[in-house]
Amino acid sequence: MKDGDDTGIKGKTMETARSKFEVQDLDLWYAQTQALKKVAIQVSPNAITALIGPSGCGKSTFLRVLDRMNDLIDAVRIEGKVLYDGTDIFSPETDVIELRKRIGMVFQKPNPFPMSIYDNIAYGPRVHGLKARSGAERRKLDELVERSLVNAALFDEVKDRLHKSAMGLSGGQQQRLCIARVLAVEPDVLLMDEPTSALDPISTAKIETLLDELKKHYTIVIVTHNMQQAGRVSDSTGFFLHGELVEFAPTKELFFNPKDKRTENYISGRFG
Amino acid sequence: MPEQSKHRADTRRESSRRVVQEKAAFGVIRGLSIFTIVILGLIVGFILYKGLRYSNETRSAMLPYAESAPDGISLIVNNQVRLKNIEFPVLYGIYTDEYINWSKISSDGFDLLPLVVDKSKNEGMKAASFLFGEDSVPQWGRLVKTVPDAATAIITVETTPGAAAIVSAADVAEAIGKGGLASKLCVVPVKRLEIAVSDDAVAIVDNKSLDDLDDATIARLMGGEIANWKELGGPDLPVRLAAPPAGSSLASAVAASGYKRIATPLGAPVKSSDYVASIQGGSGEAGYLFGSDVQASGVSTLTRKGVENGWNLTWNYLLEEPRLSGRVGGISTIILNTLFMLIITILIAAPIGVAAAVYLIEYAKQGPLMNILRLGTETLAGIPSIIFGLFGYLFFVTILHFGFGLLSGCLTLSLMILPTIVRTSEEALKSVPGSLLEGSLALGATKLQTIVKVAIPAAASGILTGLILGVGRAVGETAALIFTMGSDYKLAKGLFSSARVLSSHVYLLFAEGISFDRAFSTATVLIVIVLLFNFVARRLIERMGSQQ
Repeated sequence: MKDGDDTGIKGKTMETARSKFEVQDLDLWYAQTQALKKVAIQVSPNAITALIGPSGCGKSTFLRVLDRMNDLIDAVRIEGKVLYDGTDIFSPETDVIELRKRIGMVFQKPNPFPMSIYDNIAYGPRVHGLKARSGAERRKLDELVERSLVNAALFDEVKDRLHKSAMGLSGGQQQRLCIARVLAVEPDVLLMDEPTSALDPISTAKIETLLDELKKHYTIVIVTHNMQQAGRVSDSTGFFLHGELVEFAPTKELFFNPKDKRTENYISGRFG
Repeated sequence: MPEQSKHRADTRRESSRRVVQEKAAFGVIRGLSIFTIVILGLIVGFILYKGLRYSNETRSAMLPYAESAPDGISLIVNNQVRLKNIEFPVLYGIYTDEYINWSKISSDGFDLLPLVVDKSKNEGMKAASFLFGEDSVPQWGRLVKTVPDAATAIITVETTPGAAAIVSAADVAEAIGKGGLASKLCVVPVKRLEIAVSDDAVAIVDNKSLDDLDDATIARLMGGEIANWKELGGPDLPVRLAAPPAGSSLASAVAASGYKRIATPLGAPVKSSDYVASIQGGSGEAGYLFGSDVQASGVSTLTRKGVENGWNLTWNYLLEEPRLSGRVGGISTIILNTLFMLIITILIAAPIGVAAAVYLIEYAKQGPLMNILRLGTETLAGIPSIIFGLFGYLFFVTILHFGFGLLSGCLTLSLMILPTIVRTSEEALKSVPGSLLEGSLALGATKLQTIVKVAIPAAASGILTGLILGVGRAVGETAALIFTMGSDYKLAKGLFSSARVLSSHVYLLFAEGISFDRAFSTATVLIVIVLLFNFVARRLIERMGSQQ
């Protein structure tokens, strides 16, 4: 990781002290089962918000609400309000495609497409209409791919085999490729669903360092199983249990001075 | 401690029993799979062998000895006629209008032009007596053209592919010696020796008659080793051998052939005609005789049983057009028609099949209706092709007025292989990990973009497998095609032109009893095409796999 070498990263002003996301009274049902109960949270910009909790507590479901990935599941019913930069993401005027372009998501298991590294990164820009027909456009795409790989701290490892299949990369590299792929769409928010749970400690460390770097320019919401990770990387942490957001506080406060008994039990390892 | 050792022994017995079980199961599985593979190999190998080589039992009165200059004259043909040798009756047929072209003789497409030199010339006389016997009146066919001299005959043969002429061997040698156009000349040896027998030797007695004899038996018979016709399955008659008249051309031909003959003539007749009459009128007599004399006198002959071997599948077979219902010629147009059919069928079936699979997997609401649809597709995949053929005939040929032709056939085939393509494509699309699709959607791609750019490429090898299965079924299809595509073996001229493909050619060659050998060599070509198709597709899939 090269500290300070961020000239390539798209500059973003730190103007808003306003919340990136404001979630009010969010209920979510899978058919008859209620998976989220009256969740209310405010996600601050240019910070890392961690969501922790035992398996099946609804933290991943909540994350998927933020870029409306739950739309893909038929039986989901959602009530409540999610404001992204002040606009309701569920209002009929919201363009889901545009929303997902602004809010990138990285999944638990690395899911590179079965194509070359270059094509993986270029996939997003291409589906959003960047045609590499003329030389200038091609150069633009090349630059974008390189910048995204640099920002995902992967460029040096793959620069000699950009046109080789992405399936040949290691797990950690694949996950950084997926992050680079999201960065290439030039999003505003990064949602990460347990991005390191399938990786070894060294790859995990690399991604955590990367998160720290990315935080300067993006708002990050990360779901993690790993409480140490939450403690290490996040600015504020929310604890989910049985679909409820039990406690949401700055990370240090939540870990060292939890207000709720259940939070205390969980972080001291009594269950979960 | 006894208890402990007993326990140990039990464990050992148990584990040895497990090993035996495992080995037995493994052995059975291995045996069965090897057996299956061997059977498959045998089938393919047998068809390939039968397709490449032929081995026919031939039955003919003619003995195999062929003379290139019988009685000092030669049969010459143009070298475009593929004729290694000719049996006397065929030569006789050429000069008596039995044939009008070469196709039944040598599988060549040329019109026949038999030439004979005017009877005032020596070779004209010789040709007449060679063909029709010494004392008979020549019965030339109407096709036969008389030329004034040998030189004219030779030049005509050199310049006309279908011409044949009987000229003196010396003239031929001289012409070949001169070179030039003479390289076009080809001397065809004639088989003219037969064994004539008395009528009573070949008569049917007690529902039995003389066997067809192979060369060894003929040698024993003519060598005097067989005393009674009974030994050869014939009537109870002593064998008497007649020797050709001393000094006759027959005697010298027999001597030249090296065939067995008894040294001392039995009651040697002097004249040729007496010789024939002595056999014809005798009892249990047998003797060598020329085809011309047999033709003229109508004497009975022995039938020789021989085996003929050779290459069945030749370049000519692949490169020539079929003629006379495929009796002669090759299968070039049929191979091309098959390729056209495959291309058109893939062009119709692949897009529709893949689109249907995409719809069923990615768009349609899963529910009872979908299950009925799936059941329907599976049932369609199992329907006999003849039913598709009937439907295709009714719908495409009759109602839509497409007529018998490529289009009707390919549409019918497409219907037939669609279920296979849809089902395998569905499975392939289903096996694309949801995480890939999510990844694409999360990047802001639309559903259509995700399907076209991620799902279909990721499922490509499975989809391709389905296509190969479908095409494999299509290329082997006969029943559905006979009613829809017609069976014209000429090159298809358009979508509505009737066309015969390899599979229906095999079927028709077999069903109409035209030629088993040709059916097998066509089947071999079909197998090779299917293998090639599979090989190429496999390479494609591998290449795709290596990209992933």
